[in-house]
Amino acid sequence: MTTFNRRTLLKTGASIGGLAVAGAALGTPLIAQSRSLKVGSYGGYFENSFKEFVYPEFTAATGITVESVTQPNSADWLVTMQQAVPAGSIPTDISLYGRDSMIKASRIGGLIAPLNISAIPKAENLDGYFVFDGPEGPQGVGAMSWFSAMVVNPNQVDIPASWADFWDTDKFEASLGLSNVHSNGLLDITAATFFDGEETMMSNEGILAILDKVRELKPNVTLWWNAESQMEQGMKNGDVIGGQYYLDVANLMAADGFPIKATFPKEGNLQDYGSWCLTAGSEKSAEAAEFMNYSSDPATQALMSRKIGTAPLVDKAMTDLTDDEFNFVSGSPSIKPAYEAYLDNETFIKESWDKMLAES
Amino acid sequence: MTIADDIGMRADRGLDSSKGINAKAVLYGVLTTIMVVFCILPFILVIVISFGQKVDGAGWVWAFTLANYQRFFVGLLWPDEVTFLYLQQLGYSFYFAIIASVLAVLTALPFTLLLTRLRRSTQAVWLVFILASLSMSEVFIVMGWDILLSNNSGLPKLFEVTGLTQWLKDVGWFQTLRDMGLANPRNVKFKPSSFATILTMSYLVWPYAVILLYPALSRLDPSLSEAARTMGASRWTVTRTVTLPSIRLPLLGTTLLLFVFLLGSYVSVSVFATPDKQTTAVAIYSNIRGSNMDAPFGSAQAVILLISASICLYFGHLLNNKAEAR
Repeated sequence: MTTFNRRTLLKTGASIGGLAVAGAALGTPLIAQSRSLKVGSYGGYFENSFKEFVYPEFTAATGITVESVTQPNSADWLVTMQQAVPAGSIPTDISLYGRDSMIKASRIGGLIAPLNISAIPKAENLDGYFVFDGPEGPQGVGAMSWFSAMVVNPNQVDIPASWADFWDTDKFEASLGLSNVHSNGLLDITAATFFDGEETMMSNEGILAILDKVRELKPNVTLWWNAESQMEQGMKNGDVIGGQYYLDVANLMAADGFPIKATFPKEGNLQDYGSWCLTAGSEKSAEAAEFMNYSSDPATQALMSRKIGTAPLVDKAMTDLTDDEFNFVSGSPSIKPAYEAYLDNETFIKESWDKMLAES
Repeated sequence: MTIADDIGMRADRGLDSSKGINAKAVLYGVLTTIMVVFCILPFILVIVISFGQKVDGAGWVWAFTLANYQRFFVGLLWPDEVTFLYLQQLGYSFYFAIIASVLAVLTALPFTLLLTRLRRSTQAVWLVFILASLSMSEVFIVMGWDILLSNNSGLPKLFEVTGLTQWLKDVGWFQTLRDMGLANPRNVKFKPSSFATILTMSYLVWPYAVILLYPALSRLDPSLSEAARTMGASRWTVTRTVTLPSIRLPLLGTTLLLFVFLLGSYVSVSVFATPDKQTTAVAIYSNIRGSNMDAPFGSAQAVILLISASICLYFGHLLNNKAEAR
């Protein structure tokens, strides 16, 4: 495995996404006789790993061939689908969406179709939270999950037991690296550490109270990164000695000998996940159900953890992952992003966050 | 050839081959289409989208609302609450662009003056080198400075191994640097800071400054300043009263051009500027990207940035005219 990770590659994958869609459309008539399915995933290392390790196994198990379609990410893919689906072209049968984009898609309507959940019996393996009930019934089945974790440079500081330690200026003055995007988790982490978690996120007053707390953290932050490569560089070259970063990438960096240690403080780390959604108008709902069923199998979840670095959505006990393998990609407790707040109160939260950052 | 000849020839050509005219018409047609499709339409689209409306929790819809423009000046919650966040960002767009362009021109001026006094062949080598350096993109340059200023591989490391950091700590100036945000408890740090931002932006446009100033400076008549010198004027007096006045137009023009170029600078600001000094260009991108999907507000910011730049160019033009008239 390399430190070149899926999210960095999403950006490069975006440009070739259109070509992939065109190619997939041209290829369709040739294999119309056999059963096939067009599955979207985020381009780059991530998609390549799916093509190399997951789709062939699925084809071997079910006889359904998979055409991989490159998605740039889920938010921008939503924009593509919003134009494609009403125009009658269906670039994928199954798309991969983050929870926020999936909820947006379900609210916009007519983009993702309800699922026949009885054809996906193995979805029972997943926590109920990962089967998304939209306005039209079940509209998404969890695919994989990833953590955004607390990281520190173990050569410079002791491993903190709580996120609250980051507020300690004696330890971390001008030394932390955190994301400058409002929805990347610092609000959720602060809410979980000092307030009532998601509940506090649901009101404007709550948001402002959390932002007041984040404001106290500002003297300790030297790098407000907007691209994760900045954080990677910051940790590597010693500009930052702690912060928030993706668990799998942090562990890969540590395995390569860089001074970074990902840890689960007592409040936990931020866990986000992707879902498979059936495109409205797709005629492959039966094949799609088989794919989602296959993906929900603990063995497939373990395969993805090993080969792609994602966290399984099923209990560790159901998989054959060793402790080391599991801890490389997952841990507990987990903090769940306040998706509803980010969706319903999007513009207010962004402007208040930007204002807080812009104060000198 | 007289003008009459020319007209005659054109008329002849026109009569000779209607094919030629058709080809010309087709060429103009294609060029116009390209202009409209790739230049004017996107431009109009941005203006139209700036009146659209964001839907919380979904995308945005076509509409006609001035809310985005109002938000730019007084914030989302007006009239309950006022924020000048976006004006502040516009202010910093100007702040960085003005300082960096002036700095680039001021440092490029003596360099270019010296350059014009070199042998022709040496000048050519320098110019080719400077032209070649233009091929480096902003991302590349920012990456380079990022490494040069970073703790383990750059200037702070040099401070540490030469004992300068320890010396600063011993004499007590280190605390001052910490208060200024230029040090953490362990070592000095130069990014993020306005220093790093302006440095990178000036560096980015410096080759442009040289290339834009070079034609004017190379046309300077050395006998003028020589004459002034023989009449007893000091070197500084010559520079002030002879050299500078004769190049004030290219100086002003170059500064204006670099300024407008730097107004849209994205990478240097987003990587090196502190969060309290982010600019409109950075804010535009953060609004239109997938996670926000607020293209209408991003477009409104873009339109306002464009208008501000146009106003600056207009005043620059006025100044130019005034200078020329004198």
